[in-house]
Formats: sequence, C-alpha cells, structure tokens
Amino acid sequence: MDGPGLAGRPTTPAAGPGGGAGASERASGAPDHVPNELQPPPRVELPTWEPSGAGGPTRAWVAQAVTGIGLLALVTIHMIANHFVVPEGLRDFAAVVDYLSNPLIVAIEVTFLVLVTWHGLLRVRAILFDFGFSPATERRISRGLFVLGVATVAYGLWLTSVIVSYR
Amino acid sequence: MSERERLANRDAAPSRPLDRRRGVAGWVDPRGRRLGGWAFILNRVTGIGIVVYLYLHLAVLSLLARGPEAWDAFIAVALSPLFLFFDVVLLAGLLIHGLNGIRVTLTGFGLVLDAQKALFVALMVLAAIVLLVGAIRLVEVA
Amino acid sequence: MSGLDGGAPVSSRVPSVDPLERSAVARLRVYRSKPGVEAAPRFETYEVPASAGATVLDALLWIRRQRDPGLMVRHSCLHASCGTCGMRIAGREALACVTFLDDLGAGEITVEPLANLPLVGDLVVDMEPSYARLRAVGRPLVRESEICPEAQPAEGIAEPTRFEDCIECGLCLSACPIVATDPRYLGPAGLAAAWRSVEEPRGSAVGRVLALADDEQGVWRCHTAWECTEACPSNVDPAGSIMRLRRAIVLGRGAPSDGPRTEGPGPKRCNDERTRTTGQP
Repeated sequence: MDGPGLAGRPTTPAAGPGGGAGASERASGAPDHVPNELQPPPRVELPTWEPSGAGGPTRAWVAQAVTGIGLLALVTIHMIANHFVVPEGLRDFAAVVDYLSNPLIVAIEVTFLVLVTWHGLLRVRAILFDFGFSPATERRISRGLFVLGVATVAYGLWLTSVIVSYR
Repeated sequence: MSERERLANRDAAPSRPLDRRRGVAGWVDPRGRRLGGWAFILNRVTGIGIVVYLYLHLAVLSLLARGPEAWDAFIAVALSPLFLFFDVVLLAGLLIHGLNGIRVTLTGFGLVLDAQKALFVALMVLAAIVLLVGAIRLVEVA
Repeated sequence: MSGLDGGAPVSSRVPSVDPLERSAVARLRVYRSKPGVEAAPRFETYEVPASAGATVLDALLWIRRQRDPGLMVRHSCLHASCGTCGMRIAGREALACVTFLDDLGAGEITVEPLANLPLVGDLVVDMEPSYARLRAVGRPLVRESEICPEAQPAEGIAEPTRFEDCIECGLCLSACPIVATDPRYLGPAGLAAAWRSVEEPRGSAVGRVLALADDEQGVWRCHTAWECTEACPSNVDPAGSIMRLRRAIVLGRGAPSDGPRTEGPGPKRCNDERTRTTGQP
C-alpha cells in the first residue's frame, strides 16, 4: 500500500486565520477550555489510514534487531572457530573439508549466513530508504534486495555442498 | 509556475523538496556533531564496510570450489602481514558495529533512553579492550 | 580601526561599549546570500564590540545597524521562548538570543542559517516545511493541565495551563542527519508532536497519528543519532519521543482506532521523572 506519509496528501486551498467555518467543527471535538489550535486547522484532509500491512516497517525493524542479537553470538562463534582455534592460523583445504563434515557446524554456519545476509541487506534497504524515494521505488528496492538475499544464501548452500563433496 | 499557483501550493509543502538539504554531507560532516551523531555514522560506516566485506569474503570462498591447490595457495597469502592488518580492521569494525548495535536495539525499543550516552561510551571501551585482546591473539596464532 | 562602536548615534539601542572594554571584540563570519538577487553565497567577516553578556543576536543586530542594514536576521522574544532566531553558530544549532559570545571562545565565529530548510536570505530560512509536518500530526499546542504544586496560579485563575515545550524553532530539523537526505521524513519535531498527541490525546484521533508515525517515513527513519535532542533548546527530547513511539507501536498500542481516545499515560506533572532536563538555554 502506498506509504501514507506526507507525499500523498491532497491539498485544498488553505483557510486563512479568519475562517469562520472552522470554529464550529473544532469545538465539537475538543473540550471548550482547551483549544488545541490557536487558529482553525487548515482544510486539508489526511488520507484514510489502513494499518500499514500489519506493521510492515515494524517487522523490518524487529527482524533487524533480532538478527542483530543472534549475530552477536554467531559472529563470535564464527570468528573464534575460524581464526582463533586453528593452530596454523587459518584452515587449509583438507581442514575446511573436515570442518564442514560436521552437520552441526554446517547448521551453525548456514544460520550465520542467513542471519548476516538478512541483517545486512535489511540495513542496506534502510540506508537507501533514507533518501526518501517514492513508495513504489521503495517496494522495488525491497523486492530487489530480497532476491539478492535469497541468491546469497543459495550460493552459500551450493558452495558448502561442493566442499563437502571432496570428502 | 505562476505566482498564484505557487502561493496556492504553499500548503503542499510536504511534497516540496527541502532545499539546502545537506545530503550525505549531513551524515559525515563532523562539525557540530555530538556523541550520538558519532555513534550513528560509526555504525553506518562499519555496517557498509561489513556488507562489502561479506560479499568479498563469499567471492574469495569460491576458491574452495576449485579444489585444494587454489585454496591452499590463497591461504599462504592470507597469513601475510597485510592480510592480518585487514583482519584487525575487520575485527574492529565488527566489534564497534555489534556493540553499538546493542545500544541502537535497546534505545530503538524505547529502553535505556536516559543512559544512552553512557552506554555508548561503555560499549566502545569494551570494544577497544576486546579488540586489543583479539588483535594480539590473531597475530600470535598466525 | 575608528570607532568600534560605529560612532553610534544616541538613539541607537545597542548598549555602548565602555572605552576600557574596547579591546573586547568578536569576529563573526556570517553567511550572506540573497537567492535570486546575488549570484552566489559568500561569507563576510565583521568585527563586533563584545560587551560582557552580549549574545550572537546582539552582535548580528549591531552588524545590521552599524555595518550592513541588508543583513537579514529574524528574531522576536530575545529570551528563547519564540524559537525564531534559530541558526547554526560555530557549526552547532542554537538560538542566537541566548548564545553568549563569551562562551564561544576568542576565534572567529561562523554564523550560518539552519540547514535542510529553504533559504529566504542570509540567516533567514523558510519554516513552512517544519510547520507542515507539525500540522500533519495535529500540532498539539496546549497541555490540558500541568499540576505543579509550587506554581500558585494568580487570583481568578482556576487552573494553570501551559503550552507544549516545542517552540517550533527548527533546530532539530537542521541537526538531524536523515532530514539532510530525506525530504519525506516526518522529522524529529513532527514525531515529537505525534508522541505528545499519543501520550495526551486531548480528543485527537490517536490512531491516525500513530499510523503516520508507524510508517517508513515516520519513526522508522530515525537511526538514533540523538542530534535532535542535543540541539533542542526546550526540553522536548524528540529522540526520546520517537523511541517511546516505537515502543508503543511495537508493543501493539499502535492499532488505529476509530475515533478519539482519552486514555493515555496522561499529562506530565512537574517533577515527574518522565520530565527530562536537557540543554537548558
């Protein structure tokens, strides 16, 4: 759905400070002793709001936060497992095959890849959205990045299967 | 646009572009920036760096598909001092981004709002300590 | 340099400089631009007598009276209540009427208009983009009441009322890095006003305001730079307001309702721990 935002507002000629018609409409909504406006609100209609896709932007933020928390653990595990516990410093080919022969390791690394791709591309999406493109462009960006994310994970899975086949 | 149209459209202000928007300079300009602004740009720069690194890393990993010779040749290079230096830079980026990210997550859910500056400082101190330990260990192991 | 006081006529309202203090001089490097009249913006440097307690606004008005009447400067109350004199002083957003020259050090002081807003001329910007955002969220103006035991209302006044903290100065919009790149972002002032509408509905349609806030161009464009709260001269704490809005939205308080609601956390009270004290002018 179109972001309700600001761009979609239809405009009507503004009422000046002397707009008399505004006074009666205003008084019906608000208690008399608390004027919410010093002058009648401009005659601009806000669009009718739908709940924005059950919180689309909210979901993205929550996903960003949750994947981030997961990554705190997973990136630590990944760095330690690949840099700090290997005697020679980095694994040679045989050692990599060995490492990935363990299904638990594969599960952890794949999860890591999924989360880091998801988290990173969500953020790329947010940075692009910071330029204020139109809602249509924003949807295109979201779709494009989703495809890129799926492709990235697919590549990772493919690569893992190739490596394991060397066993 | 005639003067009349321009005046009539004044209430369309939201769709009128904000002239003199500073653009990306508004993200990186250090003048007048306070602690939270530094946190913002640090997270953004480290985040972009990590995404770039991710795809570089995935590309390099494709060497694994080409078999032992290709990969082992790469490993020999990867233990050189230059690569180790970049490893330390990567570690720094990950630590800054991850730990500041804790602050962003907490404040982004409306928690720990009053202590957010202190939290940032504490987390960056922690990042520095872990970076030091990690960098030493990296160099040792290589 | 002859007559640092400019040989001020007696009718000038600028306080005259004590001859013994004539060595107290401030150098102001002021942004000058007349869009549509002059080809390009430039900076001009002025030496201004800096008597004790003089503010940047004092200096600018002195420049206007003694050096260049074409300098466009906007101000009103002279005591940080109206929000009119917002500008960037030494790179930081501030109200010129309460920024003291003494506090800015001995070097050259750069004075520029607020960023991210259209320029009218020199130091004056068009505030309409800011006002339009405030209107979009219903622009809460008067708190229902703020019961403050220390404040004894004057005789004949039944109940004290007060305005919302926001003085609509636009400093937050200038400081925000996202407003710098995103023309559709509702912005710190708008979102802080939205939060006030949610926190204290006053008969407004809370659901509508929350839907505006729970939008890609609402609270989700904020990345916790906190520059807005730092710049705010008036205790609004836009960053905190945005984060509280996000909490309300994520926890599901955000479902748009059909009509006005009167329940909410209620009006803030004096000395309430929710009242933040930041950046007192």
